[in-house]
Order: sequence, then C-alpha cells, then structure tokens
Amino acid sequence: METILQLTINGLLLGGIYSLIAIGLTLIFGVVRIINFAQGEFLMIGMFATFWIFSLLKIDPYLALFIFTPLLFLLGMGTERVIIKPIQNAPPIAQIFSTFGLSIVLQNGALMLWKSDYRSLETSYSNAVISWAGLMINVPRLVAFSVAVGIVIFLYLFLQRTYLGKAMSAVAQDRDAAQLMGVDISKVYMLAFGLGIGLEGLAGALIMPIYATYPTVGFTFGLIAFVVVVLGGLGNMIGAFLGGLVIGLVESFSGFYISPELNTAIYFLIFVLVLIIRPQGLMGAVGAQEMGLK
Amino acid sequence: MKNGNGSNLRWVILLAIAAILLVYPLIVRNPFYVHLFIMVFFYAFLAVGWNIVGGFAGQLSLGHTVFYGIGAYSSTLLFIHLGVSPWLGMFAGGILASLTSVVIGVPCFRLHGPFFAMSTLALGEVFRILATYWRDLTQGTMGISIPVKFGWKNFIFEEKAVFYYVILAFTVVALGISHWIHRSRFGSNLVALREDEEAAESLGINVPRNKLWAMMISAFLVALGGTFSAQYILFIDPDAEFSVGLSLMIAIFPILGGIGTVWGPVIGAVVLVPLQEFLRAWLGSSLHGLHLFIYGGLLIIAVTFLPRGILDWVQALGRKALPFLFPTPALEKPAHPRPDHFLAWSWLGQKGSSDGPILEVSDLGKNFGGLAAIRQVSFEVRRGEIVGLIGPNGAGKTTLFNVISGFYPPDGGAVLYHGEAISSLHSAYRICRRGMGRTFQLVKPFQNISVLENVMTGAFLRGKTQAAARDDSLEILELVGLYELKSTLGKSLTIADRKRLELARALATRPDLLLLDEIMAGLTPKETDEAIQLIRKVRDRGITVLVIEHVMQAVMQLSDRIVILHHGEKIGEGPPREVAADEKVIKAYLGEEYVIT
Repeated sequence: METILQLTINGLLLGGIYSLIAIGLTLIFGVVRIINFAQGEFLMIGMFATFWIFSLLKIDPYLALFIFTPLLFLLGMGTERVIIKPIQNAPPIAQIFSTFGLSIVLQNGALMLWKSDYRSLETSYSNAVISWAGLMINVPRLVAFSVAVGIVIFLYLFLQRTYLGKAMSAVAQDRDAAQLMGVDISKVYMLAFGLGIGLEGLAGALIMPIYATYPTVGFTFGLIAFVVVVLGGLGNMIGAFLGGLVIGLVESFSGFYISPELNTAIYFLIFVLVLIIRPQGLMGAVGAQEMGLK
Repeated sequence: MKNGNGSNLRWVILLAIAAILLVYPLIVRNPFYVHLFIMVFFYAFLAVGWNIVGGFAGQLSLGHTVFYGIGAYSSTLLFIHLGVSPWLGMFAGGILASLTSVVIGVPCFRLHGPFFAMSTLALGEVFRILATYWRDLTQGTMGISIPVKFGWKNFIFEEKAVFYYVILAFTVVALGISHWIHRSRFGSNLVALREDEEAAESLGINVPRNKLWAMMISAFLVALGGTFSAQYILFIDPDAEFSVGLSLMIAIFPILGGIGTVWGPVIGAVVLVPLQEFLRAWLGSSLHGLHLFIYGGLLIIAVTFLPRGILDWVQALGRKALPFLFPTPALEKPAHPRPDHFLAWSWLGQKGSSDGPILEVSDLGKNFGGLAAIRQVSFEVRRGEIVGLIGPNGAGKTTLFNVISGFYPPDGGAVLYHGEAISSLHSAYRICRRGMGRTFQLVKPFQNISVLENVMTGAFLRGKTQAAARDDSLEILELVGLYELKSTLGKSLTIADRKRLELARALATRPDLLLLDEIMAGLTPKETDEAIQLIRKVRDRGITVLVIEHVMQAVMQLSDRIVILHHGEKIGEGPPREVAADEKVIKAYLGEEYVIT
C-alpha cells in the first residue's frame, strides 16, 4: 500500500514536470496552429542557460528563471517572425519540416558548442526531501509541480480575463472571425509563440536542479511533451495538465512493475493508440479536423 | 526538330554519366573517393525508397529506420545464427519490413500531415528501445559484429569497388521502380490521394490500399539498404540502425532535391552527401554535428523558399539559360482532336440495359447527431434523364449526394443502382467503379499537377495504359473546353475552369450516371449557357445526369424532372413547369406571403 502511495506521489510530481513542459507546446498549437517540433530544443536552451549562469556566476536556478523566462519569450517572438510567419499558409510539408529543421539546427548547434556531455548542477536543495508518514517528497519536484499548477491557473485567468488573452482564445477558435472582429492576428501569433517559448525557459530553470542537460535533452522531453499534448487534447490547456499527470503516473508505475528501460516505449505506444482511437484526446482538441486529425 | 536534338543531347549526357560511373572505381583508386560515391548511392537509394510513400503518396514518414533496422537485423541474425547468405537474408528482411509496414500503416494512415509524421517518429523510437531491451536477440547496446569472412556468398568484400557496384545496381533498380511507378496508374493514384483523398475516392481509387502498397514497396527497399549498410560496416547496434537522425536524413534528401519526383531524391543525395562526408573527413569528430546543423538550416530555407526542391529550380533556370538542354515538355495535339469520339465510345449499355430505373432512392435517412439531415427521401432516376435536385440552403442536397455516392453511410433506407443495393458497399471508390461519377460543390482539383494529369487520374480507372488514359483525357479536355489549359496546374485555374475540370475528371471515369453538385454556381450567364449545352451533349450520348443547382433558370431549362428537398424531406417532384408553380416550392424558397391564392 505504501509502495502504491509512493509511486502515485512520484508519478504526480513527475507528471507536473511533464505538464509544465507541454503547456507551451499546446498553447502554440492552439493559437498559431503550428506543431512546433523545435519546442523541446527551447527547453534545452533554457536548461543550458540555467546551467551556465549557475556554474559561471553562481546564480541560483530559482533566480535564473526570472531572467530566462523573459529572454526566451523574446527569442520565441523573434523565431515566430523569422521562421514561422513565412510558412503560416504554406502546405503541411513546409510547416512540419521548417520547425523540424529548426530543431536539428538548435540541437546540433548545442552539440558543437557544448559537446554531448551530460551536465548537471548541484544546489543545496537538489536532494532535499520532505518525509511524511513514511512517504518521501522531493522538494525541487514539488516546486516544479506547484509552479505547473500555478501556470495553469494563471494562463486560465489570463485567457478569460484580459483582452489579449481573449484575443488569443478567439484566434484559437476561428482566426478569420477574430480578424473580422479587429484582432491583429499577426501580433497575437507572435505573442502566443513567444509565451509558449517563454514557458520553456521557466520549465528549463525549474527542472535544472533535477535533471542533467545535454544537446538532445530537448528531443527526449519534446517527444514526451507531444505525448502529453496529444493525450490531453491538442491546444487544450487543462488537457495538457491532466495528460502530464497521466503520463507521469504511467511512467512511475510501469517503471516499477515492468521495467524503467521500457518506459519510453510504453508511453509512445499509448501515444500512438490515443492518436488512433481518440485523436481528440481526453479533453477534446481545438481544430482537430482542420489539422487533419480525423 | 529542335526538341529532338535536345533530347538526343540529354541522352548523350546521360550515357556519358553512366559510362563514367561504370569505370569510376577502376580509375580512382583512392579509397576515400570510392567510399564517397558509395555513400552517395547508398543515401540516394534510401531516399528513392522513402520518396515512394513520402513523395508520390505524400505520407511524410519519419520512422523509416524501423524498416532499415529490420533489414539490418534480419539478414545479420540469419547469417550469424543460421549461416544464411545475406543475399537471401536481405529479401527475408525486406519481406518482414513490408509486413511490419502494413501493421504500422493500417492504424497510422488514418492520421494526416503532422500527426502521421509524429506517430511514425514515435514508432521508430519504440523499435529502438525494443531492440535495446531485447538483449537475447540483439545483444542490446553492445551491438553485433559480423565476422569478416570475405566472399560473394557472405556479401563481404575486401575491395570497396565491389560494394560500389552493388549499391550502384541497387540504386539503378530503385530508380527503375520509381520511374515505373511515376508513369503508371499506381503512381497516378498515389498523387491523387496525396492531393485530395476524397476526390481520389470519387474517381474510383482505393485510398487505403494504394497507401499500403506504397508503404510496402518503400519499406522493402529501405530494408535492403539496412542489409547493405550492415554488410559494409560489419557492425550493427540499435542506436545506429534505428536512429532518428537517419530517419530525418532520408526524408531531407528528397525534400531538398524535389519531393515526389523520380530524380529529386538522387539530386538531394548528390548535393548533400559529399558535403557531409568532406566535413567529416576534414574536421573529424572535432565539430560533431556540423553537417546536421547545415542540413537543418538548408531544410528551413528549402521548405520556405524552394518548396518544390532543387530539381525544379534548376529546371526552371535551365529552361531560360539552356533551352536546348531543358526542352519545355510539349504535348503534341492528337492529329484529329475528336471530342465526340470519347462520348461515342460504347461503355454505356455494357451492363445489359434493363428497363428499370438507373437509380432508386427509397426511404433514405441520414442523421448528424440529433439533426436529421435527410428524412425518408424517395425518388428515382430513369435512364437518359436529366433530373434536377433543388431546395433552399441546408435542405440536405449535398448530404443526399454524399450518401448516394457512398461518402456517408445512410442511417436508414436504401439506394439501388442498376437495381442493386449499393449502400452496403460502404465505399465511394467501389460505387465509382460501378459507373457513378460525381463532382464536388467545393471543387477539389488536384492542386499541384497539371490539368491533363488531373483528368488522367480519372481516366486510369478504365484505360489501363498511360497512352490510353492520355488519349481519353485529351479528348475529354477538348470536349469541356480545357484543351488549351492542359499543362496549367490545378491551383492556377479560375473558378469556372475548376468546375469544368471537375466535370472532365468525373467523365473520365466513364460513368453512366453523373452526379453534378452546383456545377454552375458562380458562372457568368455565358458560361452557364455553355455548361447547359455541355450537360445536354453528355446526356444525349446516353449518360444519365442528376444535378444539384441553385441557378433556377438553368435548372428549369435543363431538367426533365425536378425533385425538391426542404428541411431534409422531399416536398415535391415533377416537370419544371409544374414545380415552378407549386405552392410548397414557392413557400420554401420565398416564404408564405409570396404564395398567390
């Protein structure tokens, strides 16, 4: 019984991290209608930046996030202008392969700069644990989980209460109608893309005390983010959060009862099954038809 | 005979290249330069294989290393454990890869665009992990070394030159297959389903089966590449055989070179592989990742600015600069364009013309959720009639067409065509093959192929050879007045010409019943008149026509009988004159107050 509780806690905490990484991807998909295959690489950039600022300037990851979230927001907006905007109305092949190209560029750029070494940082709290009733709760993971919950609430309020947020929701639902209502969709795309990338800066800083970084770390986490987003329903914020928790639990339990080596294989199979059986995901996807999901 | 000289010159150049390639390893003894060419052919071979499903059929797979890995592991394990020659093991691997491709294809082909790509990418990772995990079979990350025993039987050669000739032969065979597909009915089907699956089905093309065939051929070839690489390197491990990077590379070469063309994948490999090999030779591992960094950048630039690839760009430049080398593909007009010749062909009446109605719709119903789009609609169409189907917006006309032509299954009632129930066929392509052609209200021309090729996708259903399909198509183009535009791309047509093209494509399947969905909407009065003449001409040759039309004047002139739908129900039927005076019709169209009592 205690094992099951512990596995559940581990799974939920892990799931929080996955949600955090996936929310940016789902936001970009929902608003800009682009599947950003380079999403994981921006997380990688956030992680490396956090690593270097810690090793060189001894700036704590939890402080670094206040630097890198806005920086990645700007980087995201720039990327949207240079790479995404020109292919906004291009055929699918261009939309898939230009972000794929970007992912290859960033991944191999990192490889050339920093080699394929694994780099991790040790903070005073990296291994801090709260023990309670025989259960162990890792502090950095709890922090990441809490921030993920906070981000979901924040984004929910942002989309419901502010003009910009409402404009984004409107564009997500029907870009033509939104345009007719006077929404500057080009600006909305840029801001949404920036926001989605900025969230990876935040996630990168938050998980640096837990995970090592290396040039292909973005590929690993990026694929998990896709699984989470598809499971929750593309473009669906709450769906991404719940999807993250589900994948976290699956990983925690299958790692214990089957084999940790097969974790990835198991949730990829889930991913393919979900795509085939219920392509709109747990919570329903925005514009599933339009993107060729049905 | 300017063209003749141009094509002669092209042959001379091709033969010269072939001759150079044949003697190359005999003259060049530097192993690096032989290796370089082996790599170019090797990647070209994989790229040509990928292009069959990724290019012709437009299914952007990013998981082709699954097949590559299966090929490498099958032949290697058979060789090591059972002593089977890799020449045989190669085919075992190819067949196993083809079977696997069916298992992957059946579920994944339901997904489109980026989702298909993502699911294949994920499956590639699943295979890599399984190969790592299944140590008893694969020795996991340790990998498997193939014992060096030189000899033809073992597919292991001391001389690099032999590998050179082997992979050159592989590539030539793959190009031959690709060339054949490109010119065949199969290739035409693949292009059609790539451009628009629904339109392809309406032309009698079995979309899932064609996709699977393309995938199987592609998987088979790529698996052979896996065996070749295993024999060349004599070592395999999961990370190399199921590498994501390789999956990407074999997609990048065709995309850069010219996706969906015969030579594009080769051009891509010829341009990029030397770059990669030279970088590797010069920089060693000091700048590991540089070649992929450059590929990624080129990929972004190419899909943004040269979406049709280098080949297309070079050809366009070449036509300007060296017109004698790059002749504009000109189609000779048939000696006597005989538009009526096509219609005079005797495909009609082949089906033992019984006297019963050609189409009977009885008590047909279709619901979407709680909404009854059509309710208990019954009517019949007799041979040689033109029947008009009218009704206000949302009356259910197009839904009715979609049920009759097999795009939606009915929720009740039956459709009898030539006296046989056809809604149990459950597929649009089968219904088309039986002789029912249709057009779409929102026209679906195949955008990226020429008008002639558009019509040929339909004509291939009956004329099995390319020449037959082409002759049919040219005659039909003359008939509908699109002959002069035969080389124009589908996407460049005006709306009126798109509608003509829809009609031409449907006619090319040689139907005996044509369903025309608002073929005159948006046409000028003159164009409308021409369309009426054309439909009459078609009918006079014995093709029965059912038209949905909003242009009242046209439908009144054209139809022998009119069926009126309103809120999904049939509210009347009769000759145009009677219908025009019918109270219910006026009410439905104009409202209560216009009825003169």
